Amino acid sequence: MSDHDDHLHPPAPMVDEVSEFEVLELAVRELAIEKGLFTQEDHDRWTEYMHTLGPLPAARLVAKAWLDPEYKELAVKDGVKASLEVGVDWVSGMPTQFGTPSDYCNLRVLEDTPTLKHVVVCTLCSCYPRPILGQSPEWYRTPNYRRRIVRWPRQVLAEFGLQLPEDVEVRVEDSNQKSRFIVLPVRPEGTEGWSEDQLAEIVTRDVLIGVAVPKPGVTANAKRPVRKAVNPYGH
Amino acid sequence: MNKPHYDREHHVKKATGIGDPQCFKGEAGKPKFNVGDKVRVRDLPDIFYTRTQGYVRGAVATVAEIVYESPPAENESWDNTEVVEWFYSLVFKMTDLWPDYPEYFAKDTVETEIPEHYLEAV
Amino acid sequence: MTDVNPDYLELDKEMNERALDSSPIELLERIKIEGRVWEELSEEYGVNNPDPPWRVSLESTCDQLAGGYWAPFNVCLPKEERESPSDDKVDAIERRWEEDDLVAKHYADVPFPERQLLALAHTLVRRGIMTEQELAAKMKSVSDRLNMVDGAYEDEELSNPGLANKQGA
Repeated sequence: MSDHDDHLHPPAPMVDEVSEFEVLELAVRELAIEKGLFTQEDHDRWTEYMHTLGPLPAARLVAKAWLDPEYKELAVKDGVKASLEVGVDWVSGMPTQFGTPSDYCNLRVLEDTPTLKHVVVCTLCSCYPRPILGQSPEWYRTPNYRRRIVRWPRQVLAEFGLQLPEDVEVRVEDSNQKSRFIVLPVRPEGTEGWSEDQLAEIVTRDVLIGVAVPKPGVTANAKRPVRKAVNPYGH
Repeated sequence: MNKPHYDREHHVKKATGIGDPQCFKGEAGKPKFNVGDKVRVRDLPDIFYTRTQGYVRGAVATVAEIVYESPPAENESWDNTEVVEWFYSLVFKMTDLWPDYPEYFAKDTVETEIPEHYLEAV
Repeated sequence: MTDVNPDYLELDKEMNERALDSSPIELLERIKIEGRVWEELSEEYGVNNPDPPWRVSLESTCDQLAGGYWAPFNVCLPKEERESPSDDKVDAIERRWEEDDLVAKHYADVPFPERQLLALAHTLVRRGIMTEQELAAKMKSVSDRLNMVDGAYEDEELSNPGLANKQGA
């Protein structure tokens, strides 16, 4: 998000129409509050917090690790501590001060090597390192991705445009308990002498999940169509 | 008639400012397995809730890391946090999980975290 | 988990009784067909934001429903001992599974996050947390409020981020 320079530009265009979905969202929320399932205050506090989240801190963590071997060691050893340096406090940063139903306080940073490529999934639901990476993309939440990536990882990665040679081990990290994961990829060639800002720009959300590798010049996630699951496993 | 009291604040009090799973640190004793050990995931019965995936049950893995201490999700989901155990990050070979996984990609693996009571030495 | 409290087995029965009825809901079917999705609206109005302004609020509602920290299976409290409606919190993982099932069954052709919203409303109605009629009535009052002429809801705007986000996000 480029909210820092918002005030320099005229206001962005708005949708001047209330859709049925917008009404439904508000209606569901208000009824849930009226029925005592949660309070407006808790919802406000949480929503406000969620608005502050995005993939930038994780991208910065990776860029810093590429530039500073000591920081890299810390990141791999203690992701929670390393997160502090990019402004993410896994414990006290959240409104609850201890984590949430789906955001526990254990970040593990998975270091790729030229012969090891990590990719993250949550086969059971859709656990995601939200405090440092923001909201998960829809494809990450779909049964299609969750069921197939542990079963046919190379096919799924190929659908993202990532074909890996046989001598590279693909390691699928199934996020099923209290750790959350981001991938620390190999720094690509052609980035010699780059600053932390320049490096952080090519560390996209998809790179941090592990379905893409960083490339100079590529600063956005590829569009991914969401398909129905085929050959589903389990559930 | 007195209603039984459910202490819903217990976890909040324990974890605030410390974090979860950090708040269970030091409660599990000595880990039973070491990094590098071969272990098998037991196919234990669970009612309603488990976070031990079906596809790893019965499979053999290598302990990659001893990660943290926590009550297992299977108990915690019932608010039972008395028994705290070690969690292990395990690496499974794809070819051990899926019989038709191609041999030329035999290096490929899955890594996931499993609590100690699900594991037996091989 | 090898020692099973026999009380829990009783609850297994109740759990089955609560197994989700996944038949279509008329109100939601209508919205599915008539509602204008963000993909359409953002293109028509030239808005760049890939997500509708209510997406984070929806996500937040799902989190709040999952309970303060993790949701114990409150169905394991006998009905008469549930202290408040919040004891009927929807467990996070169950809700996710229901979302997957309902989306596959009814809402596969609706884009995201509209389909997540339809699935959530579906879950809540079928679990008896709100009725279809209540939801329809609430939608009517919300819609009247949102479509009110300028100024009338200024105060509400301050206390309601849902409305504020509409402008800001």
